[in-house]
Formats: sequence, C-alpha cells, structure tokens
Amino acid sequence: MSNLLLQIKTDTTSIINDANEIAFISYWFWIALCEFAFIIYLIIRLKSKKSKLAFSDLGKESVKNAKTQSIDMENLMDSINGARTLYKELSRKCHPDRFVNTPKEKIAQEIFQEITKNQRNFEKLKLLKEKAINSLNINF
Amino acid sequence: MWYRIIVIAEWFGEMAERYRLIRDFNKAAKNSFIAGKAPTLLESKITKGESNYRHAFSKFLGGGFRIKALSGRPLNQGELVEIGRVVLDNEELVRKLIALGWDTLEVHANEGYKGVKWPLKDFANIGGYLN
Repeated sequence: MSNLLLQIKTDTTSIINDANEIAFISYWFWIALCEFAFIIYLIIRLKSKKSKLAFSDLGKESVKNAKTQSIDMENLMDSINGARTLYKELSRKCHPDRFVNTPKEKIAQEIFQEITKNQRNFEKLKLLKEKAINSLNINF
Repeated sequence: MWYRIIVIAEWFGEMAERYRLIRDFNKAAKNSFIAGKAPTLLESKITKGESNYRHAFSKFLGGGFRIKALSGRPLNQGELVEIGRVVLDNEELVRKLIALGWDTLEVHANEGYKGVKWPLKDFANIGGYLN
C-alpha cells in the first residue's frame, strides 16, 4: 500500500515538472521571435539606407573596369614630391604674358592652359616641359 | 549555387586588389624615400573611415584610405593638403578607390593628431563610370 502511494506521488511530481518545462520553452520562443523580428527590421533599414547612398544607382558591372585599372604609383610619388616645384617653374617660364605680340603667343597660351590643367601630374608636366623647350625655345 | 561561388570569388578578388593597391603604394613610397626624391616616408593603410562619407560601395569598417607620414622631415598642414590634392586629382586612382570600397581619404602627419580628410564621392567623375 505504501509502495502504491509513493508511485502516485512521483507521477504527480513529473507532471508538474513537464508543465514548467513547456512554460519555460514558450517563454524562450517569444524572446527568439522578438529577436528575429528585430533582425528583419535592421536588415530592411540597412537596405533602405543603402539605396539612399551615393552611387546606389550604379550597378556593380559598371565599376568592374575601375577595379582592375592599373595605377602608375611611381608617377603618383613623383607628383607628390616634385609636381609643385615643376609647376611653379613651368608656369613662370611659359606664362603667355612673356610672349605678347609674338608669333608664339597662341602656343604659349595652349601650353599654359595644359600646365594649369595638369598641375599635379608630374609625368604630364615633364612632357609639357619638353614641348615648351621645343616650341617656345625656353631654357630651363 | 554557381552564382554564390562567383560572388565569393569576386569578394576575394576585390580584397586581394585592395591589399595590392596598398602594397604598391607603400613600395613606391619606400623606393622614393630611399632614392632621396621624397623628404618623408609615407605609408598607406586601411582605416574605418568617416561614416558621413559613406557611399553604396563602402566597405564595413574598412572605408578609410590613410596616408601617414612615418619618418623624415615633419610635414606641415599645407604639405598634407597638397598630398591629398595630388591623390584626388588622379581621377583613375579615385575611381579605383571608390570601386574597391574606400570612401574617405585621410592624410596624417608623423607627429601629434594632425590630419586632413576628404570624402572621395565628391571627387569622382560619375560620367567616367558609364563610359
């Protein structure tokens, strides 16, 4: 008799434990659902923000060529270190005011415009220097 | 499935191109310093960049292209601006930087917290992409 009573008691305890476990699971289920909804909201917000950014109308294909374009780093370094000095020298010596009322006035104007346009490109400035030496007979 | 593989391969290719650009810049800067053409040794590195300068191709936490003076003669503010202007005047380089996910150009001096920065999107010729 005492054994039977003990068995009933144990069964009741296990039923109560199961009920607690179900309540516990549903609690975590709602938390996970809220987190999932929040993640979805963040993704939508990120997407909408990205569509408002600059260049968002450009496709990936249109910038593919720019990615693989080779850059002349030697020229970049020369431009950083020497373009300013060379530009000052060229702009002083090739200024169109030095060639007023001479047949070289138009060439000087063209060269000066090119010099101003490429004032931070060492390679182009070197070519323009050679052009100035040949066409304007300037000694540097 | 194949699309996903292509996307992953493209991502790795892009990252490799980013690091190749940094390596080429550092190599050219080092050679220039050793040859005596440059008074200051420059170094480029990737930083997180400025969040206000972001654009559609910006890399998360990798949008800054920083040029930092390492040693040699200290650079003044005018020289820092001039370095930045030379980079920004190079249209091909600016386009490449934007396409590879950089959005901010930073130039820092070798001492203190002196530095200047520009948003790359303002210096890109958009028409150039379409041609």
